[in-house]
Amino acid sequence: MVYLRIVLQYAVVLIVALSLNFALPRIAPGEPIDFLLPEDVLANMSQEEHAQVMREFGLDLPVSTQFSNYVTGVFSGDLGTSVSYGMPVWEVVLSRLPWTLLLMGWALVLSAIAGSALGVAAAKLKGGKLDIMSLVGVMFLGSAPPFWVAMLLITLFSAHLGWLPSYGAAPLTAMPGSWDWISGVALRLIMPVTALTLFQTANILLTARSAMTIALGQDYITFARAKGASENRIFTAHAFRNACLPIYTNIMIGIGNLVGGALVIETVFSYPGIGSLIVEGVGARDYNLLQGVFLLATLSVVLANLAADLGYPLLDPRARRA
Amino acid sequence: MISKCFSLFAVGAFTAMTAASALAQDAGESGVQAPPAVYLSAAQNDGPKEAEELTLGMWVKAGNVTTYTIGNSWNDWILWLVYDKLREPSPYAGEAEDWLATSITQVSEDARVWEIDLREGVKWHDGSEFTAEDVAFTFEYYREGPANRWTHHSSSVPRMVGIEVIDTYKVRLTSEKPMPNFDRITATDLPIIQKAQWEGVEDPRSFTDIGIGTGPYRLVDYEADRYYKFEANENYWRGKPTVKKLNIVMIKDPQTMFTALKTGEIDGAARPVPPELVLQWKNDSALEMISAPTLWGVWLDINVGRKPFDDRDLRRAVTLAINPEPMLERVVLGQGKSGKHGWPHVDSFWTKPDLAAAHDPELAMSILDEGGYADRDGDGTRETPDGKPLVFDLKIASNQPTFLRAAEIVTEQLKEVGVGVKVTSIDPGSMGQMWRSRQFDLRIADITPHGIADQDMLVILYRGDIKNEMLLDEDKKTIVDRWLNAETREDRLKVSYELQEYQTKYPNRVMLWYPETVFAYRWQAYDNYVPSTGYGIFHKYSFLPEEARDGTVSPLLSE
Repeated sequence: MVYLRIVLQYAVVLIVALSLNFALPRIAPGEPIDFLLPEDVLANMSQEEHAQVMREFGLDLPVSTQFSNYVTGVFSGDLGTSVSYGMPVWEVVLSRLPWTLLLMGWALVLSAIAGSALGVAAAKLKGGKLDIMSLVGVMFLGSAPPFWVAMLLITLFSAHLGWLPSYGAAPLTAMPGSWDWISGVALRLIMPVTALTLFQTANILLTARSAMTIALGQDYITFARAKGASENRIFTAHAFRNACLPIYTNIMIGIGNLVGGALVIETVFSYPGIGSLIVEGVGARDYNLLQGVFLLATLSVVLANLAADLGYPLLDPRARRA
Repeated sequence: MISKCFSLFAVGAFTAMTAASALAQDAGESGVQAPPAVYLSAAQNDGPKEAEELTLGMWVKAGNVTTYTIGNSWNDWILWLVYDKLREPSPYAGEAEDWLATSITQVSEDARVWEIDLREGVKWHDGSEFTAEDVAFTFEYYREGPANRWTHHSSSVPRMVGIEVIDTYKVRLTSEKPMPNFDRITATDLPIIQKAQWEGVEDPRSFTDIGIGTGPYRLVDYEADRYYKFEANENYWRGKPTVKKLNIVMIKDPQTMFTALKTGEIDGAARPVPPELVLQWKNDSALEMISAPTLWGVWLDINVGRKPFDDRDLRRAVTLAINPEPMLERVVLGQGKSGKHGWPHVDSFWTKPDLAAAHDPELAMSILDEGGYADRDGDGTRETPDGKPLVFDLKIASNQPTFLRAAEIVTEQLKEVGVGVKVTSIDPGSMGQMWRSRQFDLRIADITPHGIADQDMLVILYRGDIKNEMLLDEDKKTIVDRWLNAETREDRLKVSYELQEYQTKYPNRVMLWYPETVFAYRWQAYDNYVPSTGYGIFHKYSFLPEEARDGTVSPLLSE
């Protein structure tokens, strides 16, 4: 029954999200045609020519018809054609998705490990050198704009040292699957993953430190100490187990955001992921493309939240009772 | 090294003199000649003239490289790798070389009927033969089909009313109005597409097949917004290309693009080098830079469809009050030419040689006084005759910091004559809609050579304004009508000059500056780039053998 209620809740969220995904691109000023054709062409176009271009992409239809076509398309797997790419939206999105998953996945794994470990250690050594250093580092990295960090990395590791390639996701001249290609992909991941990891680690570190600090101040910790439990056991079995819920939530949110890509980082590194696709879609007012990407991002967030909800009872017996 | 510099200078100077002399003799015209391109690097090296593979950076995506996915002068050069025109290189230089055509002849005295003899033995990339059917189809498709950047050559100016295949290699075209510059403008700008590939295509913007052309390169693989791979067409009729494989990678961020060039990840950057980098790279031993004319411009667009800009005297006062000189110095660090030369581009062949926009704030103020635009409430800003403050909104795109600096200067200058300006920065995505719906008083925007260096386009822009009922100026309309009916090159050029004078005096677009465009490349990878007016140095002629470049290249001098 509980699970049914959760699924119904998410169904409602999905319906609202679908409507917003349709409405948001259209609320922005401008139409795809403004970006499809240069001004000198637009200036001289007749009404018929204008209507013809709109018809090509189904934009001449009433908004209600466009919406019903969109909803029908979502359930039949046809998200229409991207105006700026001239290709089916799914094809465009799927060509970008693996790159984004690779980039965001590595950044999430590394930031989850580094953030959790540093946060827990900082809580354990609260007030000590590690705690202060990690807090200062976090405040700095968390507040530094990611594009600035990215540019610093490019300047240092590409322009000055010449160690790492500065753009793209894969070497263009190597055969896909070959060792050159794999190593090229790995090298091109280092800087964008580092920029994202630095940024995301700050968030997870703060969450982990705060959760551990709160847990270590609870009565059950005092009780465990009174019982004679070792400090290690108190820290891992009592405090960490309780503190891992917020960390888990944070990581699940990160998983949900995986497919949304990293708009700024992908743009700076010319990384062909979903983030740079969104930038392209917004710039071109490519309604179909934006609807497709937003749909994917929505599904990802909804599913990650659902997974998080379903996972809580496994981590915390109190959630099972609730 | 010295001998190379000297020979470059000598060849450049000779070419410049020869070209100037030819232009002066031709039809008695006195067209402007774009200045020669110039090496900017401290040392001009002597690198390889051929290469197996090159990687170049580009920043504007080009879809599947067809006329329906390209419309921007920053990326149309890759279209020309694949496609050829009847004559080349472009409509901007005035002169052209027969390319797919072997001769183009004016048949009727009124310049409405032309016949084109086509080159025999030219093959499409799929091996089939290029014939008159393809040329006729191109004109028909562009006249009847969906609009793109090139369709006006058949559907508007000029509008073709007769397209006939005379035989396998001959076509006759008849237009509604005279087209005395058909061989210099239409023929030098319109890419010829293959009938077999396009005749069944109804929605060309959703067509994703790789375009089949007759050009020196075949597109073999692409991922729009990521990369394009070209291979040399070894059997190109004009000569075997000098680079076997061309990889074009998309890098949108300028800093990343120039870092990639500096580190050697790319061999050339098809994007102008910013002024501060030009100084920095001047002594870089791995890079060479060439300043080559691309004929771009930045203008202040006045919305003549919105009152009180329908008053041409007000527009005249605005242009008299604006001094583009400080913008050149303060905005682009002197890298370019001032817009005082007027509109169209100062280096376009079609521009009146002594054209200049006057700067006279005193005269501007007296015109405003006479027009009833007086400061009645003493707040320093004039009011319109019906009492509304003479304050205009000036819109710029938020991703153009140089435009913001220019807008500040425009504001200062107009304030001196009592005209108020409120600058608004809006997201680039909204600029197009704002322009199309005419929801602005003034805006600063850049404009491509297609818009300011092609005589036909000048009139197309005017006609667009008239069509959209934005231009109520009968005098200008009369000049445009005379231009459309002019039957000879000389008459048309004469009327065009009249139009330019009129436009410069009563503008709806005030030129602010013409940027100098500097391009950089790694000479050790390939050192055979040549300039072509309007295209810079990244274009197909840079990848053709020396003998195939005749008539397409503009002079290149040492600094």
